[in-house]
Amino acid sequence: MSYSVNISVEATIENQIQEIQYDGTEIYQPPLTLSESLAKYAQKIDFSKTSEVDIKKEESSEDSKSDTDSKDAFQSSIWPWDSVRTKLRSSLQEICVLADVLAIAKEKRYLVLDPVQQEPLETKPMVQIYARKKALGGAANVLLAGAEKMKNSQTEAARNRTTLDFHIELLRLRQNWRLKKVSNTIIGDLSYRTTGSKYLQTGTFEVTKAEDEEKPSSPPSSPLPGGPIPSKPNSALRVSIPTELQGVAYIEVLCQKDQEDLCSVNLNLMGTAPPPSNPDMHWQQKLEAAQNVLFCKELFNQLAKEAVQLQAPIPHMVVGNQIMATVLPGIQLIIGLRHSTSGDKKQQTPPPSKSDHDHVLEHSLHQLLREVHHKNTHHPFPHPATGPLGPSKKRMLAGPLAADRHELLEMTKTQTLLEQIVQQAQHFIMRMRTEYVLDTIAKEVKDPLISSHWNTLNSPTHSCVKIHISTHGYDAVCRTPLIIHVGEKSLKCICRDGKVMNMSYEPQELRDLIFCHISQHQIVAVQALAKTMGWQALGNSNHLGTGAVEPLGNSSSCLLSSPTGDRIIAVRCEPQAGPQVSVAHSPRTDFFPSRLVTERKWEHLGGQFRDVRLDKMEGRNFLHKMELLMASLTSNS
Amino acid sequence: MGVTILTQFNTENRSGPQNIEILSKRILALGATQQGQFLVDCETYTSVPQLGHQRTVHVLHNSEQPATVFSLLETGAKTIPLATDGLFDLLMMKMSHFYTSKKQTKSESKGPRYEIGDFCVKLGTVTVSSNFKGVLVEVEYRPCVVPAMCWDLLKEFLQGFLGLSGPTTPPTYLQNRMQENYSPIDTIHQYLEHFTMFRKSPGIGMRP
Repeated sequence: MSYSVNISVEATIENQIQEIQYDGTEIYQPPLTLSESLAKYAQKIDFSKTSEVDIKKEESSEDSKSDTDSKDAFQSSIWPWDSVRTKLRSSLQEICVLADVLAIAKEKRYLVLDPVQQEPLETKPMVQIYARKKALGGAANVLLAGAEKMKNSQTEAARNRTTLDFHIELLRLRQNWRLKKVSNTIIGDLSYRTTGSKYLQTGTFEVTKAEDEEKPSSPPSSPLPGGPIPSKPNSALRVSIPTELQGVAYIEVLCQKDQEDLCSVNLNLMGTAPPPSNPDMHWQQKLEAAQNVLFCKELFNQLAKEAVQLQAPIPHMVVGNQIMATVLPGIQLIIGLRHSTSGDKKQQTPPPSKSDHDHVLEHSLHQLLREVHHKNTHHPFPHPATGPLGPSKKRMLAGPLAADRHELLEMTKTQTLLEQIVQQAQHFIMRMRTEYVLDTIAKEVKDPLISSHWNTLNSPTHSCVKIHISTHGYDAVCRTPLIIHVGEKSLKCICRDGKVMNMSYEPQELRDLIFCHISQHQIVAVQALAKTMGWQALGNSNHLGTGAVEPLGNSSSCLLSSPTGDRIIAVRCEPQAGPQVSVAHSPRTDFFPSRLVTERKWEHLGGQFRDVRLDKMEGRNFLHKMELLMASLTSNS
Repeated sequence: MGVTILTQFNTENRSGPQNIEILSKRILALGATQQGQFLVDCETYTSVPQLGHQRTVHVLHNSEQPATVFSLLETGAKTIPLATDGLFDLLMMKMSHFYTSKKQTKSESKGPRYEIGDFCVKLGTVTVSSNFKGVLVEVEYRPCVVPAMCWDLLKEFLQGFLGLSGPTTPPTYLQNRMQENYSPIDTIHQYLEHFTMFRKSPGIGMRP
């Protein structure tokens, strides 16, 4: 110790630099005061360590003591809770000391607690960011790996599963149908009310979980007709539909002439062949069938209501599930609701309709009710903020546009579904009759060819057909076009010269009109042909006043003269009898003076007409014969 | 919708009902048929002084256009016509703080409505705040919409049953619109013209 040199270690006198300014001056931190430095150093002492050392010392002394009297203290040393007891004891001591210190510090007379300035931790932002990034990356990897594992197991399970899960099925059901939970049951709604239907009947169904024990027993046990139908074995859902909506329904539309069917249409929403409602049907098909039943019922209900209310000249009849309306004299429209429940399906199935389906009529009846639904939910824009909803756009504009009483009255007129379908049926019959008339005339009449072109686009109550009358081989010379508008109860024909003929629903009128036009066509065509042959048309008349009275229309005629003028052809065409041709020569080749005609020059005035027997002539048709006739007469001269 | 001519029928010391009776006898003798009644009414609102320059709104209804409320806003310099739907009446009620109605100027013309061929004749008894003021005859020629083209016809028709008291010149409102398309608001303009004249004229004092 005597050689030891005292080395004093002191802190540097220079204080820490707090800041260096731009001009180089350094600003130092103010030196710590005595009390501050004391506090700082005192803070550096780890009191817990020293106390632990003390405790160890105590323990070691105790151990040595216990070693000495080990025999009598044997019981205590092996007591299992000994270490716990000592630890509790030391902590109790610490707590007591802390309590004392706090009590003394509270007095502020003996002890003052000063806040000690913590040395700021050196933090580097970039390091922190990297650390956090790394930590987050690690966490993300763990999560991703876990998710991957779960996904794998899920797909594995789905692949292996044969029967679908109830909840998955329910989710599928929920995607297409409206469901709600009422206490412990799941109730669905298949009515069209959300799309604008105002039909009162509810279309609720109940969804239950299919029982496992029923599956094996369902094939042998016969399904009860009224009870809940067990679902398909591999479906976990069971859908119970009220009995009045079970089975298959469709609306049958028949057009009857007296008692014989003119056409019959089976209307149902699910295509031409309704699927049989077997008990093992999938719930989707079952619900669709039930919804179809509801729709047909609503449609029929609406039609029946209108049939009773409408004041038709011949009243509509509603008997049971059938509505009968008179479309045209002698023709009835019969609309029937056919509903067969699943139990007695086989007996009630009607034989497939004899005539083929009219998809237009089928579609339109369907469409009409949908339109009503659509109108109920879609109001025309713009809605005034304060105005009522519901009136049509025209009615909304009626005020600002100052519509008068007559216009307003017109706006209130609306057509009911039945009126519209009756109109469509009328048009259907009219179209069919027109087709029939045109086809039979085309079959009967070979000489001028009659071709009809139906417009592909038409409305449900209006269609249009264009008719061409032309002669085979001479269609470039002359053709007569006619346009016929087929309406609901009348026909309108626009002729070649722009005349408009209105006709009633009687097919005979159209037939007569076409025959008149055929005869006129022949005369016009002969004149056009004569022009190409160099002959001259002396005159023509479409409505000839002379000759026998025609049973229908008027006969038409024309006079043609040869290029040299020595021959004249007269053509007369009657709608019923067909064309007649006469020829006159002037002057005649031979001349015999008589008492009246003494000189040859008088023969130039024109001679007697002699009939040509057309049926004995060569030629494919009338125009061909006329061409040959004219040619021969021209070459003769 | 056609051209309408509105003309005042001189009372000639006869009471309103007597006038109407005479005219309806004449028009029925021409072969007209009565088709219900008609009513044209007019209510006038003026803006409160707080709104600044005073403006007047005339709100008119015509039974011929039952869904429409006509209004004419007079701002001094010009008149702004407006044809709206029935909700305008409710709007005017909401604006009662800014536009107050003068009850004593509420005027209306009502009476029988006749149809004779293409013409529609209305014989109206005019009352201003329920005091009888006179007789207005409205004649509408429905197939035509240009006043110049049917004025002569209308004049002749009017003179046919009004006699010498029939108009000789078109109404002042129509005089510089003779070539334009006629619209229902033009009828309203004519009614307003006559109503303002009746309001200014001293009351005849006879109850109809």
